[in-house]
Amino acid sequence: MNAPKLSTRDLCKSFQKDGVSIEVLRGLNINVAKGEFVSIVGASGCGKTTFLRLVNGLIRSSSGSAMIDGREVTAPGSDIAFVFQQDGLLPWRNVIDNTIIGPEIQGRNLGEARDLASSFLNLVGLRGFEKHYPHELSGGMRQRVNMARALTAGAEVLLMDEPFAALDAQTREIMQTELTRIWSETGKTVLFVTHQIDEAVFLSDRVLVFTVRPGRLKEEVFVKLPRPRELALKRSPEFGLYVDRIWRLIEEEVRESIRRETEEALLAARR
Amino acid sequence: MISPEVRRWIVSFGVAAILWEAVAWYLDNKLFLVRLGAIGERFVELIQSGELISDIQVSFIEFAGGFGLAIIIGIGFGVLMAASRRVRDLFDPWVSMLYATPTIALGPLFMLAFGIGYTSKIALVFLTAVFPILINTLAGLKTTDRNLLEVVRSFGATPRQIYFKVRIPGALPFIIAGLRVSVARALVGVVVAELFGARAGLGFLIFRSAQSFDTAGLFVAVFILAICGVVCVELLKWIEIRLAPWRFNNIEED
Repeated sequence: MNAPKLSTRDLCKSFQKDGVSIEVLRGLNINVAKGEFVSIVGASGCGKTTFLRLVNGLIRSSSGSAMIDGREVTAPGSDIAFVFQQDGLLPWRNVIDNTIIGPEIQGRNLGEARDLASSFLNLVGLRGFEKHYPHELSGGMRQRVNMARALTAGAEVLLMDEPFAALDAQTREIMQTELTRIWSETGKTVLFVTHQIDEAVFLSDRVLVFTVRPGRLKEEVFVKLPRPRELALKRSPEFGLYVDRIWRLIEEEVRESIRRETEEALLAARR
Repeated sequence: MISPEVRRWIVSFGVAAILWEAVAWYLDNKLFLVRLGAIGERFVELIQSGELISDIQVSFIEFAGGFGLAIIIGIGFGVLMAASRRVRDLFDPWVSMLYATPTIALGPLFMLAFGIGYTSKIALVFLTAVFPILINTLAGLKTTDRNLLEVVRSFGATPRQIYFKVRIPGALPFIIAGLRVSVARALVGVVVAELFGARAGLGFLIFRSAQSFDTAGLFVAVFILAICGVVCVELLKWIEIRLAPWRFNNIEED
């Protein structure tokens, strides 16, 4: 096997909260090949988002490391781009100026960035909206700008943190097919966090199932469904089997997570 | 074609003018309410004598000096307090206290300290106007949307870039809103400062007119001040909408 594009070595993370140390992630060893689409699923609070933030360099690990092309990630840079759940578009900038913010921050040529941004806006289906402002766009369109912005940053690795969670169900399904198309056209390496098991199966080559806190790798599921994938695939029996298998892996984790949440809420109420 | 808004203004003021005239005619008391015509005549007289022009000039200088200073110091200090925890801790109690104090009350003291000329007026106008600007600047810089900060950080932005690309543009609408509050306070400051003692100015014109039972002259000054206030506030509102259209997107006018 070739050297992985993205890998983590014994990645651990603990937070201090009210003087108590909370272990969020424990000993994660994950490899993602170049051009691979990998999803992470798990109960809420399993550290999925924390994992992405560590890989991006937005926060520092407690021990262990994340690497891109074998080089350790120490701070956010131009080789990884993050697609957040909230679109985070700057409201005072129009679509094109929002899209080029990555290259702008990294001090690259703005003319080239603009051309690149236009082609990616085209790719996400927003041609002609360059001069619009975020407040003039729908949630789905804003999320497309969010994606075009990450692509324009030119990174080979995309980290996506539940980018479709805030969208309605129909828009969400359309965005999923768009994403698989964009992914296959650009050849990016994607690490995708989601709550939706069917979303993970539909998009991914491989699904990583995390345990509850402290998050560890419970199991990985290779999704051997043919590509390109259309929405009709979601109604096929093979698809259902994958969803079912992952759901059974995750079920006890979710129950445990709910139990803990209730317990913590009760404790907090008593204090 | 006149826009509906302008038409509403004309109707509203037209009705008010008719009521005014009717009440003035009915009361027939030239000390309390004079006819609009008389105010117009007094206005022309005051212009011709040159009094009004010099009153306006003096008040304008006091207003511009005090408000200008308030903008510079208010924004400057707001930025400083947002940037440094220590500066904020040191000045926060003072800002809160002085903001809540009716600083107008310091007027007589300023007269004693700085004399009857421009300095005392500018100082008082400055003091009445500076706090809303300062507080809004600080609030605008401290309440930046976390999602926006995350995004630029994820692209590797330096603290300086974060400041200039996110924090400052995000604070601008707050600052303009602060200016809008301050501009009205500054106008009050001008009038009150002149009431405590002056040689010229619109506030002094009010004082002079009242002393000589010249109700028409008093209204001339009041109307000019009212128009200035409305123009300034509307202008700032216009700028605010141009600068931050997204903030007015979800507001329904009833």
